[in-house]
Amino acid sequence: MVQYSYFPGCNLKTNAKGFEETAKAVSKILEAELIEMPNWNCCGTVHTMTSDNMMRRIAPVRVLSRSKKHIETLPEGTLNQVVTLCSMCNSTLKIVNREVRMDPDKLEKINYQLEADDEIYEKDMEVKHFLEIIRDEISYEKLSKSVTNPLEGLKISPYYGCMLLHPDEAAIDDVEMPSVLENLVESLGAVVIDSPLFKFCCGSYHIVDEDSIVDTQVEKIVEAARSRGANALVVACPLCAYNIDHQQKIMKDKTQTKDPLPVFYFTQLMALALGVPMKTNHFEDHHINPKPLLKELGLSGGKKSK
Amino acid sequence: MSFEYLKFGKEEKDFIAKIEEISGQNVYSCYQCGKCSAGCAFSNNMDITVNQLIHLIQVGQKDKVLEANTHWVCASCLTCSVRCPREIDVAALMEAVREYQLREEPEKIKISQIPKEAYDKLPNIALVSNFRKKTG
Repeated sequence: MVQYSYFPGCNLKTNAKGFEETAKAVSKILEAELIEMPNWNCCGTVHTMTSDNMMRRIAPVRVLSRSKKHIETLPEGTLNQVVTLCSMCNSTLKIVNREVRMDPDKLEKINYQLEADDEIYEKDMEVKHFLEIIRDEISYEKLSKSVTNPLEGLKISPYYGCMLLHPDEAAIDDVEMPSVLENLVESLGAVVIDSPLFKFCCGSYHIVDEDSIVDTQVEKIVEAARSRGANALVVACPLCAYNIDHQQKIMKDKTQTKDPLPVFYFTQLMALALGVPMKTNHFEDHHINPKPLLKELGLSGGKKSK
Repeated sequence: MSFEYLKFGKEEKDFIAKIEEISGQNVYSCYQCGKCSAGCAFSNNMDITVNQLIHLIQVGQKDKVLEANTHWVCASCLTCSVRCPREIDVAALMEAVREYQLREEPEKIKISQIPKEAYDKLPNIALVSNFRKKTG
């Protein structure tokens, strides 16, 4: 059993509980266990693109340094890698890690702030998204061999969102032609539906004060998938998930026209296929309930109704 | 054909220098191909497009730049930055314009006016990233 130091980030403890719990459960089954690092803090969610604001870079560097300390308590041979599930954390940590590696001046300034807490960062960590671990360490073959309930009947459109693929230094796959979610969905026995809007931004933080922008984006994203025959979307970002899920519900209530598409985290699909108990998914937190679809396809656990 | 005469004095040059300093980008690298605006997911919500805003920065038209909503509509999805043929971090320029404004008036969003229910339902990442982008 390989172990990884895992950084959850704020959302996986609140409205994306199903994401975290399913990820932990499948990581055990796949023998690449995610162990939560103690005493973690918010990474800042968005990376500052200013060249002169060091304050906003301290939080992510502190995460890297605390993860290093965590790895020292894990069994010998554990790699210096911090694993994330949230794609915004992934992007923020990767960018800042690269920045301080390239620019010793910046690192010195940030370490000056961390020194008092004995948390100096020594440029010795790597940031990995769980999808990268699945692709590079676990392998899709092993994943598909572990499948007990193939997801037959699910037609899934992968939605990457921006932060898994942008910018170049944080990209987990090819920026314009990614395949990691597609391969994952296929390994689980579901059908992939390609959508041209796989990384068309969902509107992100505009949900707080400009939700009309998010509505237009979500409508386009969902329509692109639906018109190509998808019956569900898969995502890796809790903010994309919330925006697409919640705004579809709002629009459905307003217009009462189209059937909304349920949104799954990729780990929830894995949990369904690997036979993890249903309650781990926390589908009660979803605004578009995926259970009717799963029931219709005979995927709600137990014996298949054929 | 109509012409507009632009002033290009110290004030304009200072504005350009400040934007370049905050963003770490050279605004004159841009040759106005328009790829950023073409691929932008939010162009339809912007009153002037991204390449037009960059052009205004190039000629130092501070008031027109700050009046536009372009940089506030930008959600930093970075599609423009990864596609720019001149390798300009376009989103960093948008961030620099936001920062320029926020360093003068630090509250684009009034946190105290957000209704309490919003805090209960919105994800933490939405709130934190919004406050990071819209407060100084």
